[in-house]
Amino acid sequence: MAELAIRALGLTRAFTTVRALDDLNIDVPAGSVFGFLGPNGAGKTTTIRLLLGLIEPTSGSAHVLGFDTRTQGAEIRARTGALLEHSGLYERLSAEDNLRFYGRVAHMPKAQLDQRIQELLTHLGLWDRRKEAVVKWSRGMKQKLAIARPLLHRPGLVFLDEPTAGLDPVAAASLRDDLAALATRQGATIFLTTHNMAEAEKLCSLVAVIRQGKLLAVGSPAGLRSRGGGQRTEIAGRGFSDAMLAALRQQADVSQALVENGRLVLVLKDGAGVAPFISLIVREGGEVQEVRSGQGSLEDVFLTLMEEEK
Amino acid sequence: MNADFVTVLWKEWKEIVLERSTGSTGSFRPLILIAVFGIFVPLRMGPERFFSTAGLLFPTFFSTIVITTVIADSFAGERERHTLETLLASRLSDRSILFGKIAACMAYGWLISISCILAGAVTVNIVNWHGQILMFHDAASWLLLLLGPPLLGGAVAAAGVLVSLHSTTVRQAQQTLSVAIAVVFIGAIFGSSMLPMEWKTWFARILVTWSQAELVLAAAGVLLAIDLALLAAGMARFQRARLVLD
Repeated sequence: MAELAIRALGLTRAFTTVRALDDLNIDVPAGSVFGFLGPNGAGKTTTIRLLLGLIEPTSGSAHVLGFDTRTQGAEIRARTGALLEHSGLYERLSAEDNLRFYGRVAHMPKAQLDQRIQELLTHLGLWDRRKEAVVKWSRGMKQKLAIARPLLHRPGLVFLDEPTAGLDPVAAASLRDDLAALATRQGATIFLTTHNMAEAEKLCSLVAVIRQGKLLAVGSPAGLRSRGGGQRTEIAGRGFSDAMLAALRQQADVSQALVENGRLVLVLKDGAGVAPFISLIVREGGEVQEVRSGQGSLEDVFLTLMEEEK
Repeated sequence: MNADFVTVLWKEWKEIVLERSTGSTGSFRPLILIAVFGIFVPLRMGPERFFSTAGLLFPTFFSTIVITTVIADSFAGERERHTLETLLASRLSDRSILFGKIAACMAYGWLISISCILAGAVTVNIVNWHGQILMFHDAASWLLLLLGPPLLGGAVAAAGVLVSLHSTTVRQAQQTLSVAIAVVFIGAIFGSSMLPMEWKTWFARILVTWSQAELVLAAAGVLLAIDLALLAAGMARFQRARLVLD
């Protein structure tokens, strides 16, 4: 069995009125990029807080880099880097001072710290503006700096909580490329939470899907696609009524039926043919102009899992 | 612990100085304070009052006001600007975060008050120059100069951290702290006047037997005990889980 960076067994955290995390069991192999997918409020941030030893679980246990999160939080925090919900940047300070502060926190020798700051800021295209106060920067630049911060001391494990959230598509794509390059170069384990499926598909070797604190599925993106995504069929036409959608959803071979950009999207279970459903659509008063079928994406798998759990 | 403490102190100091040197009045803000309290006020006081123990009480209290304005930002500011959780997710120990923040605020208050006293001493000497340097001349003044700002500042900083730890915003922390300080001072004044006459007489009889230097040392001892109690309370209330979830 591969060495594990994270192992959670029955990890549960309850707050007064809600169970933010419910019996989470995951193994994250060392050196992998692990995607933790879920909608807002699914329990992703709570999981990171638990794994960093910032809060205690109500029940269950977790080991991070071999350390118990209940009793060895300080050891874990010394060996990991974390970009949490917010960038955590001191906006009055310059980019260089932000990195220098966290480098000093990690006890990096000055020469090594200087070199690493230059390396990261150059790689991210921020070196020329290193002396400027971060408050003057664009959101994309700040987020790049925020990602550089937890990678600064080359930790064995990096937690990234929705690193591209709130960025425009161009900035997000650029940041994803940077992240992929840095992860490959550094060889660290990355625990990435996101609700961006394209991001997860591009970066992650293993993904887990969580909803309302419960783990719904875990596996490689390809494995999940073949397991739960099934066949995606897009039908162009007219007259796709709510009654028709309800009728389609009642069919055993239909995992999901919805109207997206005026097209009827059906996610069918593996091996199911599309012809019977075309007949049903026509019977229900719909008009079919074009039918396209293909393998479902990770997003389809995610949406299917969310539908199933409702 | 020491290296981490210095690291937090370094960061806090940079933030305090940068925060107070931005905006339209910019880097003039500390200079304005020194001009008013280091030149104008000593000029009005004159040499007799300025170079006395009573005269030193003013810059000592002034340093606590400066500390009140910066300490409120210590945790509430980090919470408001969403940097607190990242700081808590680092390898820094609770003590280094707490003491680093307190020390930076105390150092800033102390620096401002010392600058005011130095500027005042120079101003009063220039205006009243008779071929001889005027200076504090008794032990009580020197003791107050050395012990007053750090001990009184320490008490305010430790109390400020306690308030700031659980305030949602900097404004809320500043208001709570101002009210708390006002209650303590007004309470002390009214409380002492409401003491039974025989207690007051007993207390006055002890005080008149003491020199000014002994009084300053006794006050310093009381302040040190308050400082330590407030620091212990701050350490007890510094809980990462609670701070993360607040």
